[in-house]
Amino acid sequence: MNAPTPAPAPAEVIPAPVGLLAELTHRCPLRCPYCSNPMELDRRSAELDTQTWLRVLTEASKLGVLHVHLSGGEPTARQDIVEITAKCAELGLYSNLITSGVGGALQKLDALYDAGLDHVQLSVQGVDAANAEKIGGLKNAQPQKMQFAARVTELGLPLTLNSVIHRGNIHEVPGFIDLAVKLGAKRLEVAHTQYYGWAYVNRASLMPNKAQVDESIRIVERAREQLKGELVIDLVVPDYYAKYPKACAGGWGRKLMNVTPQGKVLPCHAAETIPDLEFWYVTDHSLGEIWTQSPAFNAYRGTSWMKEPCRSCDRREKDWGGCRCQALALAGDAAATDPACSLSPLHGKMRDLATEEAAENPPDYIYRTIGSNVQSPLKEKAPL
Amino acid sequence: MTAPFPTPVADQRLLTPEELEAALRDIGARRYHNLHPFHRLLHDGKLNKDQVRAWALNRYYYQAMIPVKDAAVLARMHDAELRRVWRQRIVDHDGDAPGDGGIERWLKLAEGVGFRRDYVLSTDGILSATKFSVEAYVHFVKEKSLLEAIASSLTEMFSPTIISERVSGMLKNYDFITKDTLAYFEKRLTQAPRDADFALDYVKQHATTPELQRQAMAALTFKCNVLWTQLDALYFAYVAPGMVPPDAWQPGEGLVEATSAAAEGKRGPFVGTDVPRLPRGVRLRFDDVRGKHVLLAPERTFDLDDNAVAVLKLVDGKRSVGDIAGELAAIYAADRSVIEADIGVMLADLAQKRVLER
Repeated sequence: MNAPTPAPAPAEVIPAPVGLLAELTHRCPLRCPYCSNPMELDRRSAELDTQTWLRVLTEASKLGVLHVHLSGGEPTARQDIVEITAKCAELGLYSNLITSGVGGALQKLDALYDAGLDHVQLSVQGVDAANAEKIGGLKNAQPQKMQFAARVTELGLPLTLNSVIHRGNIHEVPGFIDLAVKLGAKRLEVAHTQYYGWAYVNRASLMPNKAQVDESIRIVERAREQLKGELVIDLVVPDYYAKYPKACAGGWGRKLMNVTPQGKVLPCHAAETIPDLEFWYVTDHSLGEIWTQSPAFNAYRGTSWMKEPCRSCDRREKDWGGCRCQALALAGDAAATDPACSLSPLHGKMRDLATEEAAENPPDYIYRTIGSNVQSPLKEKAPL
Repeated sequence: MTAPFPTPVADQRLLTPEELEAALRDIGARRYHNLHPFHRLLHDGKLNKDQVRAWALNRYYYQAMIPVKDAAVLARMHDAELRRVWRQRIVDHDGDAPGDGGIERWLKLAEGVGFRRDYVLSTDGILSATKFSVEAYVHFVKEKSLLEAIASSLTEMFSPTIISERVSGMLKNYDFITKDTLAYFEKRLTQAPRDADFALDYVKQHATTPELQRQAMAALTFKCNVLWTQLDALYFAYVAPGMVPPDAWQPGEGLVEATSAAAEGKRGPFVGTDVPRLPRGVRLRFDDVRGKHVLLAPERTFDLDDNAVAVLKLVDGKRSVGDIAGELAAIYAADRSVIEADIGVMLADLAQKRVLER
């Protein structure tokens, strides 16, 4: 079968999900041009209420979810963030606050700690304050972030710094490593930008060149060695220069569920970019039903939807064909091999695209905004 | 010289390819460095830790120069097909990316016996004799014919024997050597025969006159001597009479523990008096849905085997490793000291992943 004909797979062969990405709100004081949220952001009035989120967490726990990532937007913009965190603790769910550290985050931190929060992941846009604030689009964000980080480690909460890497901050990779050590973080994510959503629109402003990418990888490898036992560094390399694609979200419908602010349940945060997929809402169905029966989750689950070269590839159960959204965006077919894979006939073109864009002067950022009517400057539907 | 095998010199005739192969193999049987007294000591566990370190350090120079040597050979090949085959050797040693390849694995070995990576990379403490013989090898392949350059690589025919002797001998005889440390050799067990098969075929095909056959045999002899000489130098400096040249590595130099004994203490295995604890943000939990225990940590879930679960259930920030070993020894009627050592390693591994503290 080529077209994703959603046939409910028998429940017993579908492994239970391990992670729930709870996008509590799309509101955020930052305006990062690579935000993973969709171009069309949910408004506050459309957000799920507290009771629904508490029910969703209970269902997630029964379903086998172990980790809950409280995300957004900025999750602490929700008035009920403490109540939601406490519910995670009560259910034994591992709670991970993914935060910008600005706005009301610091104010709520102690209460979150008392409610049993397990872990904090703090985003840092840059090391140099002026650069960081240009990228995040918010003045005075950096000192707030530093204060927030200091309080996290003071409380004894494990801290991960997350740095999204692109051409505007790739020279700061050594600085991010020093900053992580200085702030007492246990983990650092050096995550090269993944070009979906806002990052896809801003790709030409963000894409580094191959030499810069290689250098950043080398720096991370060396630091890992030197900081063994002190700092764990996770490295996400950019698809466009990779040899094989990443298993998107650990494979479609295999590990992760993503609940949007208005309650739509997605196999990954960019899945809405694929037209004709039918997503179910937590307000209409239980999480368990959605996981096993919703058309969107079954569309690209497993391997039977694959075409060549994925279908007969030895790696098909390693990377699951890569990212469906990227396949659609670049190849025009969500069931195609992700062009990030060197086995894709489009891989060379994808790399050329990146190389060309990285060689040009970067255009200005198109900042993330709710209610904006941003048109993608990448006019062609599928540029390859 | 009376040789027990036909040689082009003695017979003044062209050997058949099979005879040539036998003659080449005979060179290895009599001159390859597995016969050197230093290697006997190494494999039989008769060297002390510093002597093993000296070997690992010096041998690094040889490993690091192999791609330089192969690039020189490659530069002399006019046939793309030949180059495609030969360049694989460079890929094997250098890897496709940082952290990969034979040189990297050798660095791991050197680190495994206690060296700081930057010290090894500096090549500061390496014996001059090691450098001289390795560089002679690089010059040899540049200056001699391509046939001789390729023939000089044929020591690889003999290396699987020495590697299996080495791995089993070293694992058995040195408690500071682990299987991870010896990862280099595991790869070479498959790479070396593949490389040697190709080179041997080439030599058999291209040594088409008695003179060329003699050159090929001389090249292999030369290479055996390159390896042998390195062990002579090691033996002389670090075994007997123990004359370490000025500037060469002295025991104690370039080691991790010399620079940060405290960090080594934090990284090493947990000992009986250490009190392990799970920091905030790491939780042991029973997963009802999957029917097993899991260790939850930032962005990660660790699957645990029964032993790890038994240990982690007792990790409470109060019990010491000794206490835990004692309780488990009583439950499983096993030897407490063995359990303590096993636990120490397991806990150190989790500590390195930053999900356990002491």
